[in-house]
Amino acid sequence: MSEYRRQILQMLSEKKITADEAERLIAAAEGTTVASAVNGSSLDAKLKPKYLRVQVDSEGNYGGEGPTKVNVRVPMQLLRAGVRLAGLIPAPALQRANDAMHEQGIPIDLTQIKPENLEELIEQLHDLSVDVDQNAYAAKVRVKVFCE
Amino acid sequence: MIPLVAVVSLNKENSRTFRLWVPIALIWLLLVPLVVLFSPLILIACLLCQVNPFRMFSVGWQILSALKDTKVELGRRTAAVSVCIL
Repeated sequence: MSEYRRQILQMLSEKKITADEAERLIAAAEGTTVASAVNGSSLDAKLKPKYLRVQVDSEGNYGGEGPTKVNVRVPMQLLRAGVRLAGLIPAPALQRANDAMHEQGIPIDLTQIKPENLEELIEQLHDLSVDVDQNAYAAKVRVKVFCE
Repeated sequence: MIPLVAVVSLNKENSRTFRLWVPIALIWLLLVPLVVLFSPLILIACLLCQVNPFRMFSVGWQILSALKDTKVELGRRTAAVSVCIL
């Protein structure tokens, strides 16, 4: 048993981390390099997220079909490839979009956004976590967006 | 590597799970001659729109290659559908 795995299991037994976190850390320790050592409370491994997950749980009973669950998993590579499409937009089209946005009072210059900026945005998504809990149409709806 | 297989699972209440393996490689094979056939039109459209056609094909290939491991699940009490691209 590797040292990393032993430490992860030790923390799990001491309830310092959850089973989900332990599973992810073990997978990361076996597949990738771990950035730092244990600091007593949790492993501080800088993991590149592989997927963007969107989970929707609705407890409503629409059409008598019961609660609805939606679970979407999108690879981060697909997001990166998708933002590269932005680099294909020709300059005249960007300028026209800029002019239309300025007319509406939106002071964003699309010509200044480079694909590298969008790549950096994707890279920072690993800390993204969105939790929405609300009651809609007399039913509880829970939306979670996160990276793993 | 572009994905070659997709798995579609249908799970109905009081019924066995129905799993269908879709060979999307065959879809790619069908699309290749169409792309070759329409490539002159695509090139002309790219030139008119001032888009680099090689870059466009490169980005398209990257998008197709990145589809691997995409998963969409939709479930209700009586039925659930899952599509997973392998």
